[in-house]
Amino acid sequence: MNQGSRELQVWLDDLLAEIEQVEMRRKRERRMRLDVDADALPTLLELLKGKASYVHLSAITCVDWIAEGEFELIYHVWSYETQSLISAHTRIPREPGRYLSVYDLYKPAAFFERDIYEMFGVYFEGSPFMEKFILTEWDGPPPMRKDFDSEAYINQFFNWQEYRPDWLKELEAQGGGIAIPPDEQRYSRRED
Amino acid sequence: MRPENYQARSHPPSHEYELFIGPNHPGIEGNYAFKLRLHGDRVIEGKADAGYLHRGFEKLMEGRLWIQNIALVPRICVPDPVPMEVSYSLAVEELCGLEVPERAQWLRVLQLELSRIAAHLFTFGGHASTTGMYTNMFWGVADRDRILDLFEELSGGRVYHIFNIPGGVRRDVPPGFLGRVAATMDYLESRLPDYDNLFFRNQVLVDRAKGVGVLDQETALELGVTGPNLRATGLAFDVRRDDPYLVYDQLEFDIPTESAGDAYARTLVRRAELVQSIRIVRQVIERLPEIPGPVRAPIPNPLAWKVPAGEAYTRVESSKGELAWYVVSDGGEKPYRVHVRGASMMHAVQVLEHLARGARIEDVAQIMFTLDACPPEVDR
Repeated sequence: MNQGSRELQVWLDDLLAEIEQVEMRRKRERRMRLDVDADALPTLLELLKGKASYVHLSAITCVDWIAEGEFELIYHVWSYETQSLISAHTRIPREPGRYLSVYDLYKPAAFFERDIYEMFGVYFEGSPFMEKFILTEWDGPPPMRKDFDSEAYINQFFNWQEYRPDWLKELEAQGGGIAIPPDEQRYSRRED
Repeated sequence: MRPENYQARSHPPSHEYELFIGPNHPGIEGNYAFKLRLHGDRVIEGKADAGYLHRGFEKLMEGRLWIQNIALVPRICVPDPVPMEVSYSLAVEELCGLEVPERAQWLRVLQLELSRIAAHLFTFGGHASTTGMYTNMFWGVADRDRILDLFEELSGGRVYHIFNIPGGVRRDVPPGFLGRVAATMDYLESRLPDYDNLFFRNQVLVDRAKGVGVLDQETALELGVTGPNLRATGLAFDVRRDDPYLVYDQLEFDIPTESAGDAYARTLVRRAELVQSIRIVRQVIERLPEIPGPVRAPIPNPLAWKVPAGEAYTRVESSKGELAWYVVSDGGEKPYRVHVRGASMMHAVQVLEHLARGARIEDVAQIMFTLDACPPEVDR
């Protein structure tokens, strides 16, 4: 890190410490966590990109905190200058699950926002491509939400079939075969 | 459920026609569709269409134990599986505060670089075949096979190794293994002049690839391009050096760049990277015998392993670019949320659509292969 980058880092640290809506925590070298109010996040990203060289949007992650009734959105931005990564966390209410797009700041946001809309149902106002991408033929609820249970869905719409071909029966007659029945192999069905 | 701003595509004007490349097409890497609108042989607009390989990894992983997920993660991207295992393991280790023994870190570097070499050989083959030179593809796949043999000896698996686990690696190297790695590296290096004559300096390739799919540095940064594609625009950024992990800060290697930003430059960067990877592997072979110690930190009973609550974001440099995992734990036996960010999420969608605009039909496949876009990474 050269002199200019170090000055930039110090300036940014001072500035972030002053802003009331931002809570700053340094996790380890090159990793910083910011907790931001939802209404302040777009402005913060604008500041980080425009003034503090965080030009690379590495990813946007959505986490469904169903117990709290909230979605957490995490914007990971990287600076090529100061060589550090900031994860800006914000929380929005689960209902109605709408937020602002940051596409005008970061072009890669279009992909992540489209993905989050598809998987979690969080709608981003102002995002350019919100049509379906991966789950084109899916019209159920957004599957990555915690209240979507894949196993319950399968049980409802598909029939379990027992797979016992003749060759397996022959093996079993000789004392071989599958030692643990498939039902008991599945960890999710373990009772404890 | 249609999004609120959904608008049906209007019928194209009569001088335009549509062409669907994929989902099953030799000019596409994996099952992926690219829908083109054309005027003559010029592309007016390309639309990426994913979903043919969606397996729902992120959801599956929420229902499995921390250790069980190790068997899932390498399957996300077939040609370059080791960075997936390593980056997921790094995230779990960060959550637990596990110290990975130094020997395990060197072994991970060894695998990462071997995997990078194998992936690059594969990509050269892909680029060559899209320009009509199939011999190079056969050579690349055959030489990649020698690295797969090494992986088979090391881990038992040729493609999916499942060798890196949180805490270290599963086993130490078998006796005589490092000698065989060194011999393979010598062999690969001796092959490079042949590759140069056949492919990299071939006038057919130079004419076909120069000036195709040009990406300038500003646009590349704007579109979130990483890895060899970014370095081909002249920016010497590499996660291995600029956000170091494992023992990369103890290794000597250069970060090759090119300035043209076209398909040819991207392939030349990969060729130079292959040479650097050989250099790194040789350093590992030299240093590894001196490094004592276990190859695995003790971990709790993996079938009842409760990882402390928290979140971690880890990045590694895969052969395709930046690969990152965001892992959240609520203190339970299974991850609360995992999110994988592959380099191809940018390269295969927005960057490809951007570069295809104005290109000719025959160059679309070449652009996709030189971006090294891996559709399974997009679909997950």
